[in-house]
Amino acid sequence: MSGSLLAQSAVNALVLSSLYILMALGFALLLSIMGVVNFAHAVIYMVGGYVCYELIVTAGLNNWVALAITALGLGLFGLFLERFGFRPFFGNTNRIIVLTLAVIVILESLVNVLVGSEVRAIPSFWSGSFQIKGVWIAHERIIAFVAAAVLLIAVFTFIRRSRTGQQMLATSQDFVGATLQGINIYRITAIAAFIACALAAVAGGLMGSLMFLNPFAGDQMLVRAIQVVILAGIGSIGGVLVGGLILGVLNAFLPLWLEGSAVDAVGVAVIIVIMLFRPQGLFGHEA
Amino acid sequence: MQLDIRDIRIHYGKAIAVDGVSIRVGAGEVVAIVGANGSGKSTILEAISGLTPLSSGEIWFGEERIDRLPAYEIVRRGLMQVPEGRRLFPYLSVWTNMQMGASLRKDKAGIRKDMEEVFEHFPILRERRNQKAGSLSGGEQQMLAIARAMVGRPKLLCLDEPSLGLAPIMVNGLVPVIKDINEQGVGVLLVEQNVPLALKVADRAYALQVGKVILEGDAETFRCNDVVRKAYLGG
Amino acid sequence: MLESRWSKLAGLLLLLVILFLVPVIVGGRPYVLHVGVMVLLNIIMVSSLRTIFLSGQISVAHAAFVGCGAYFAGVLAKQFALAPWITIPAGAIMAMVLGVLLGIPFTRVRAIYFAMVSLFGGIFLVDLIRVARTWTGGGTGLSKIPPLAQSFVGQKVPYYYCTLALTIVCLIILWRIEHSRVGMNWKAIAQSHLVASSVGINEAFYRVLALAVGCFFAGLAGAWYAHFNMTLSPDSYGFLPSIFLVMYMLVGGQKSFAGPIIGAGLLYSIPEIFRRLGTAAPLVLGVVMLIVVYLMPEGLAGLYDQLKGQLLKSREERVTKSAAED
Repeated sequence: MSGSLLAQSAVNALVLSSLYILMALGFALLLSIMGVVNFAHAVIYMVGGYVCYELIVTAGLNNWVALAITALGLGLFGLFLERFGFRPFFGNTNRIIVLTLAVIVILESLVNVLVGSEVRAIPSFWSGSFQIKGVWIAHERIIAFVAAAVLLIAVFTFIRRSRTGQQMLATSQDFVGATLQGINIYRITAIAAFIACALAAVAGGLMGSLMFLNPFAGDQMLVRAIQVVILAGIGSIGGVLVGGLILGVLNAFLPLWLEGSAVDAVGVAVIIVIMLFRPQGLFGHEA
Repeated sequence: MQLDIRDIRIHYGKAIAVDGVSIRVGAGEVVAIVGANGSGKSTILEAISGLTPLSSGEIWFGEERIDRLPAYEIVRRGLMQVPEGRRLFPYLSVWTNMQMGASLRKDKAGIRKDMEEVFEHFPILRERRNQKAGSLSGGEQQMLAIARAMVGRPKLLCLDEPSLGLAPIMVNGLVPVIKDINEQGVGVLLVEQNVPLALKVADRAYALQVGKVILEGDAETFRCNDVVRKAYLGG
Repeated sequence: MLESRWSKLAGLLLLLVILFLVPVIVGGRPYVLHVGVMVLLNIIMVSSLRTIFLSGQISVAHAAFVGCGAYFAGVLAKQFALAPWITIPAGAIMAMVLGVLLGIPFTRVRAIYFAMVSLFGGIFLVDLIRVARTWTGGGTGLSKIPPLAQSFVGQKVPYYYCTLALTIVCLIILWRIEHSRVGMNWKAIAQSHLVASSVGINEAFYRVLALAVGCFFAGLAGAWYAHFNMTLSPDSYGFLPSIFLVMYMLVGGQKSFAGPIIGAGLLYSIPEIFRRLGTAAPLVLGVVMLIVVYLMPEGLAGLYDQLKGQLLKSREERVTKSAAED
């Protein structure tokens, strides 16, 4: 096994892990704070990619500026979704499922209609590549990882250190207990929705620079996000880091030996086995 | 500030849980509500804190009507509750749990001073302040739940069955705690099944049965009342 | 009471007559009949999904079991030249067996955990189908599966009638099971496993039984489809198709037997009806879904009761108003 291939796979593992964690963190926040299974996360990711593309290619903005605006815009959409989609049906899982599916259907077909089957890719955030010990590594992969990592560090610090972040953790651990301390849970759920959607949008934008955009790209990413969240355990926010890393490593290294669907199958089998023996996941709170 | 519950009715599905109850807690008073399981006492606390809607009637706190406000707004008015089952944040530290009690306060220095004071009352919590709340014993958790509410500097503190699940020694430990809280000018509304405990701390009490108030008066009246003696004090 | 029973029967009979006359009504147009067959198969799929749901388990893998039945039948027919009256039951049984195997280790977990396990189970099954490409053709799909009968080739009408018959039979069976003691036990478990076990109901057994029945009919629909479409693709049985089946059930109304029928019937047809909108067709579906979510808490099947309830409520309000004014 050539060192170069291993090195490339290692870089891929970092990139995939960080993107998975971006998706999974938002998903986990909404799940543990509001009990919402936000299937719409898939399309937020996808729309993030397309909006970023439009801002860069059509409006000529700098990559990073476009990414920031995309994150902000979709974060605002998250606020809208929370206020009018999740809050009215709080506690009614079934309706929220249908609602988020409706969002997927509408946005996927909207993008399909507007964009069609043109192949599109976001221009690199940092083109070119460099060499380490004779191994070529593309800049864009490193930068995607770094960008994602920086964002994740910022979000985790916010959650762990700031008062609002701690209120979010508290709300996810005991919703009623949180309201009784005077925590404004509506503010908390709104912030969670904003962060979740912004993160998914960033993941979409970054991934869009590494691979071609397509209107149905979000479906696969959603499955990954759910895999990470289950692996980490429902209720665990920090565990998402470990879960994402594990899945990223699996999905980066297994293709060296197995074909696509087999890689997927292994990843899923691992989770099923874990659920057999530890249904609450690696760090989850209850079975 | 005075809490005024005026002729409230609360339904549980089609059944009626609270049927025309009026209760008053004067500013700085300690009032107890006693009754058997299912008599509706916890439901009343839920309604006071905004967790359950009223079918009819009103709840006033000071000059303001609070029964239609969302829960966190009621806390903002200075009414805090230590619920049954405590509802601590199990994976956050003792320290952070207490900080959450002060969620509505903005004065960092003041919060720190109050936390120190509260630690004086509960030295064990200071010892365990970095431990996860879920790993504390039952008695320690109850203390933490009360401590958390105290840091919020409420004007009225509601306690829902604080003695539940506590060893007798710990139950007695609650008496000085409640009296201390009251000495600081905080009103206390105590819901309890443990009637002797309730009568030790309360100025006045109400007895609840099947959603209705069947007796009301000061602690002495209660102790002498035949019905109460037979039902709760063993004759 | 008797009156409503007769009117319900009459309505059902009318519906059946219309269904039988569909090929005549549409003048034998093959496209419409094709959609008709698909709608019928979807009805079987969603109804069997609801059977599993009755026992308190939410399966997000149902499409995968349809796929298992489809591929098993397809492979048997194509590679081993077995006749449809063998391959179709075989497909159904295979799906049933797989469902039971996947379900047995998880009879004690809560609904939401079961949903997640099923999600991954379904993905796993489809991945297996893709990996076993020597048999299944992998990602490119399995084609040239023999039809239901040689004489059926190129003809949609006989397929339509056969599928209609199949659907009616399946629905009758599912209805009878639901209204038998088995169905009662399922509903008891779904309500509260504590109460159910205290009455002596073996929760694990009934949960697996629900899975067995549900997956059997899913596999049946799939295997039938294999001989109808004669081509299979693993994309049809993944995560999103499974979720859509759940959605058909929820939008149709999961509380009533007719819910899946209405849900599958309506929601599957909408993109087809609006076909000329091209890629914008699913938009109509999305809008309909939103309308149901916001306006119909009981789903489509509950619409009648919902409207009735609202009519009664407004009548009551008018009466009390006029009484107050007197």
